[in-house]
Amino acid sequence: MGRQCFLPNNDFMGVRLAGIHADTQERRTNPLVSISDEPETLYKRLSLLVKGHDKTVLDSYEYFAVLAAKELGISIEKVHRPPKKIERFTLLKSVHIYKKHRVQYEMRTHYICLELKHLTGSTAAVYLEYVQRNLPEGVAMEIKKTKIETIPEHIQKPVWDTLPEVEETQVKS
Amino acid sequence: MVAVSGPLLAVAGYWALLSRCGGRARAAAAAYSSVPAVSSRGGKQKEASTRRTSRPSQLIRSHAPPRTERMAVDQDWSSVYPTAAAFKPASVPLPIRMGYPVKRGVPLPKEGNLELIKIPNFLHLTPPAIKKHCAALKDFCTEWPSALDSDEKCEQHFPIEVETVDYVSAGTSIRNPKARVVTLRVKLSNLNLDDHAKKKLIKLVGERYCKDTDMLTITTDRCPLRRQNYDYGIHLLTVLYHESWKTEMWESEKTEKDMEEYIWENSCSQKNALDTLLRIKASENASNVTKEELLASEVVKNYRNSVVALKNEGETENNMSQYKESVKKLLNIQALP
Repeated sequence: MGRQCFLPNNDFMGVRLAGIHADTQERRTNPLVSISDEPETLYKRLSLLVKGHDKTVLDSYEYFAVLAAKELGISIEKVHRPPKKIERFTLLKSVHIYKKHRVQYEMRTHYICLELKHLTGSTAAVYLEYVQRNLPEGVAMEIKKTKIETIPEHIQKPVWDTLPEVEETQVKS
Repeated sequence: MVAVSGPLLAVAGYWALLSRCGGRARAAAAAYSSVPAVSSRGGKQKEASTRRTSRPSQLIRSHAPPRTERMAVDQDWSSVYPTAAAFKPASVPLPIRMGYPVKRGVPLPKEGNLELIKIPNFLHLTPPAIKKHCAALKDFCTEWPSALDSDEKCEQHFPIEVETVDYVSAGTSIRNPKARVVTLRVKLSNLNLDDHAKKKLIKLVGERYCKDTDMLTITTDRCPLRRQNYDYGIHLLTVLYHESWKTEMWESEKTEKDMEEYIWENSCSQKNALDTLLRIKASENASNVTKEELLASEVVKNYRNSVVALKNEGETENNMSQYKESVKKLLNIQALP
């Protein structure tokens, strides 16, 4: 992901750096934690859509994901279950002829949508890795991340004010 | 034959080995008759078949009691199932039954139950285990800045939203081509644009702008990597911004049909109103009033406001009544009885 090198707004510089300094004492005792100077990416919303064929497996997974989020201090916006989708198709039962005898198969996909809000980059990375490593067999997941950013420097003011006057060429239509 | 026996051992199993090694037939026969503890399934199967032909009971291996009998009630379960593992009936001290029962019967017990092994279990993720994991992971998390507690504040300080999607699934490949799509969303009120620049930007962007929410949405997926698509999206935003501030020569040829909103100055309505008023004044032989004085008068201003409201906002009760009042004042008509 492209990390922006500019510093955040002055209002927040105090808040963010103060937060990090308060924790450095505790983090120094854990040798695995390393702190970098890059500003944190902020995720306004993280939406996890979990898909599976078995509803009970998804229910257990939802209990696990919700408890993990609560323990790590992540606020959960809502947990809802979109309706299941059934894909059905009809095939011929026999290898040769017997058109009137068919067999029908169906695939049921159940969904659970978990919406979390207000996550920092490190917290999101930790939570997602934990939750994805414990994804059971036969279950898939789609993660939609909404990152919020400031307007880059080059869009703050139009560049024509600062550029030197250039002779305008004829517009050929 | 001897050279091939190595891989055969691994692939085909002990039955195949014993049957194909013709030269060693006598040794093999000796092997299975005297030493049953070759610790192979083939050996046990042979035992089962030979048991029927009156084998002594000393050859039947006695099973050790399952681990569940030695488990304490307050044991540390996370040491029994530290990671995801298949269901082991001898390690799980629960009387679980699973399967479709026969008529007037109960589901099958857990010993040798394939259904219990097939289904993914969460025995390694009990609540105490999850709490332990999270306590260890808590050091790596950072806190959300407390000053950004509402959506409006996030919007005010961080106006651009970048949306990306990740896909996790089991399959032959972990890649998903849909993962490279990047969507950028920005509210135009947060960008530094003046009136002309905003209108030009909306015209340039076309369908990607939503008037109701004042949101510009740029979706890019033309590059193969997500970072490239993100850079391209920012580049598009920069180009649109700077181009909209420029005024080209041909923009002066903008006609009334190109206008986004109705402007009363230099329109037919203004001409007609002024024309009518001048003619009324001329017929009354009043002192010559100039166009500027007419434009500055209250009645004309009222009329202008009502016409602009009607054209821009559409026909509502309020707008229609306002128009009626302004026309009556303009032409000095009293309401008919």
